[in-house]
Amino acid sequence: MRRLIVIASALLLLTLLGIAWLESRRVKPVALTPTLTGQVEYCLSCHAGLPEISKSHPVKTFGCVICHGGERLALDASLAHSSMRGGKNPADYSVVEASCGGANCHSGSTASYNDHIQRATTSIQATYAGAIALMRYSYGAQPNQTALFGISTVQDSQSTSGITSLQAYNPASESNPQLRLFGENCLTCHISAQPTQTGGRYDHFTGCSACHTPTQSTDLTSVNTITATQVHKLTTAISYTQCDTCHNRGNYDLRAMTFEPRTDQPTDRLHDYYQPIAQFTRCEWTLDCLDCHTRTEAMGDGSLYGSKFDIQYIRCKTCHGTPAELPQTITLTDPNNIAFRQALLNPVVDLKLGDTVLVTEKGEPLWNTRLLQNGTYRLVGQATGQVFTFKPVMGSGCTQDPNDQSSAACHKCHSVQR
Amino acid sequence: MNGPRLSRRDFLKLARGVLLTISGLLGLGGLVRFFSYQSQPPAPTEFDLGLASNYPPGSRTLLPQVPAILIHGDKGFSALSLVCTHLGCTVESTPQGFACPCHGSRFDPRGKLIRGPAAKALTVLRLETSPDGKIHLFTN
Repeated sequence: MRRLIVIASALLLLTLLGIAWLESRRVKPVALTPTLTGQVEYCLSCHAGLPEISKSHPVKTFGCVICHGGERLALDASLAHSSMRGGKNPADYSVVEASCGGANCHSGSTASYNDHIQRATTSIQATYAGAIALMRYSYGAQPNQTALFGISTVQDSQSTSGITSLQAYNPASESNPQLRLFGENCLTCHISAQPTQTGGRYDHFTGCSACHTPTQSTDLTSVNTITATQVHKLTTAISYTQCDTCHNRGNYDLRAMTFEPRTDQPTDRLHDYYQPIAQFTRCEWTLDCLDCHTRTEAMGDGSLYGSKFDIQYIRCKTCHGTPAELPQTITLTDPNNIAFRQALLNPVVDLKLGDTVLVTEKGEPLWNTRLLQNGTYRLVGQATGQVFTFKPVMGSGCTQDPNDQSSAACHKCHSVQR
Repeated sequence: MNGPRLSRRDFLKLARGVLLTISGLLGLGGLVRFFSYQSQPPAPTEFDLGLASNYPPGSRTLLPQVPAILIHGDKGFSALSLVCTHLGCTVESTPQGFACPCHGSRFDPRGKLIRGPAAKALTVLRLETSPDGKIHLFTN
C-alpha cells in the first residue's frame, strides 16, 4: 500500500511538472486594442516582428483582425488562423469587400476617390472580358467581339460603356475544343487567378495584392531561381517588376493553346521589357509602367469594358504634346485634388498648391510631373524616385502629323534597338 | 563509516513526503498564478495633467499619452483629441494645424476640418480644474 502511495505521488508530481513545462512553452499574450475597433486582439503575441503594412494602415490604429479576420482572442495558431479571410491574402476578390471595403475605406464613393473595389472588380484586369470575347469570336463561338462573359458574373447598371453586365464564363460549355483548352490553360492572366508558377519571379498574389503587395525580387540576373518572398506591405509605388508578374511572363501559343513561359534571362532593364518582339521608346523602358498609365487605366473607371483599348488611353502626346500643341497641364488650386492624395500615399514629390502638372485628356493629373519655369517638364519615378526631364515636341523640329499620334508613328523615329 | 541504514518503510515514507511536498508547492504556485492573473486593463478615460500653472497662456502642449493637445488660449484652457475622425490614426501637429499621416486629412489649429477624407472636426475633450489647481482631462 505504501508503495502504491509513493507511485501515485510520483505520477502526480510528473503530471504537475508536465503541466508546468507546457505552460512555460505557451505564447506570452501580447494584447493590442486598435483605435478603430476598440476590441482587444492577441495577434501580436506571435506577429510582433512584422513591419507596418503601410503608412495608411498602422497596426496601432487598425490592428490585424479588421483586415485579415481570424480569431482575435486565440493564442493557438491553428485556432487563431482558422477564420482568416482569404488565407494569407485578405485582398483576394472573393473576400475583398469584407476585408478592405466600407464607405470610409475602399468601397466609398467616386467623389471621395475611394471607390477602389468597385473600379477594380469591374476593370478589364479582373473580368478578362476582352480576351474572352476575342477568343470566342476567333473560334466562331460568337458573331462579333462584343464582351458577353467575364471571369465571374458582374452587373453594373451605372456602366457608361454600353456594357451593363457580364456572365460568368464557363469554358466547359464550349463545343470548340480550342476554347475549352483556352479555359484550361489561358485564364490565369486575370487578377483573381493564381499564377501558373509559384516560387519564381512570376509569383504574385490575387486581388488587390496582385499589384499592391510586392512579391518578387527585382534581381534580373536569376530569373528562374528567385524565391518569391511574401512581403507584408501595401504600396502605391508599384515597380514595373510587379506588373511583369503577369504582363511579362511569356506568350500564349494560340495553335496549341498553351502558355509558353519566357526562357530568356534578361540581365538589364532594356531586355526585361514586356514582349520581346515589341517596339518601344526609351521612356517606355526607363520609366515604370505606372509613371505613364493612370489609376483608371490600371484599375478601371467603374464601367465594364470589352477591350483594353477602350480604357487604355495614354499616348506619347499626353506628356510630350504634338508639333502643333503643348501637352495639357493643370495648376493645382484645389487642396482636394486627387493629385495631393496620390502624392501623400507615395511621397516622391513635394506637391504644393499652385504647382502645375501634366493632365490627361480625361482630366487625370499626372501628379508626379511638374511644369518647370523654363518650359520643360520633370517627372519623378513613382517606384524609383528617379528624376527625368523632358521637352515638349512643339518647337523640336519633329515633322510628325499632329493628327497621327499613335505610338507606332512615334516609334518610326524613336524606337530603341536591342 | 557505515551509518544506520534507512529501512524500506522509512524510505517510502520519506519519498512520499518529498513528492507530495513538491507537488503541493507546484500546485500552490499554479493557484497563485491563476488568481493573480490580470486581464488587459481598460484604457484610462481620465488624465491628471498637473497644475494649471504649468501651462502658460498661449501654450499648446502635446499630450501623447492621451493623445491630445492642451491649448491655453485667450478664453482659457481647451483640449482637442488627436485621434483623426476618419479612421482613428493619430494626427500630427503642423505649422498649419494638424495633419493625419495615414490618409491626409487636414485640420486647422482649432481642429476645424480643412480637408478630408475625414468628415468631422477633431473632437473637443472635456476639462475640469480641481480645487487644488490641477487640470483633469476626460476622453469619454
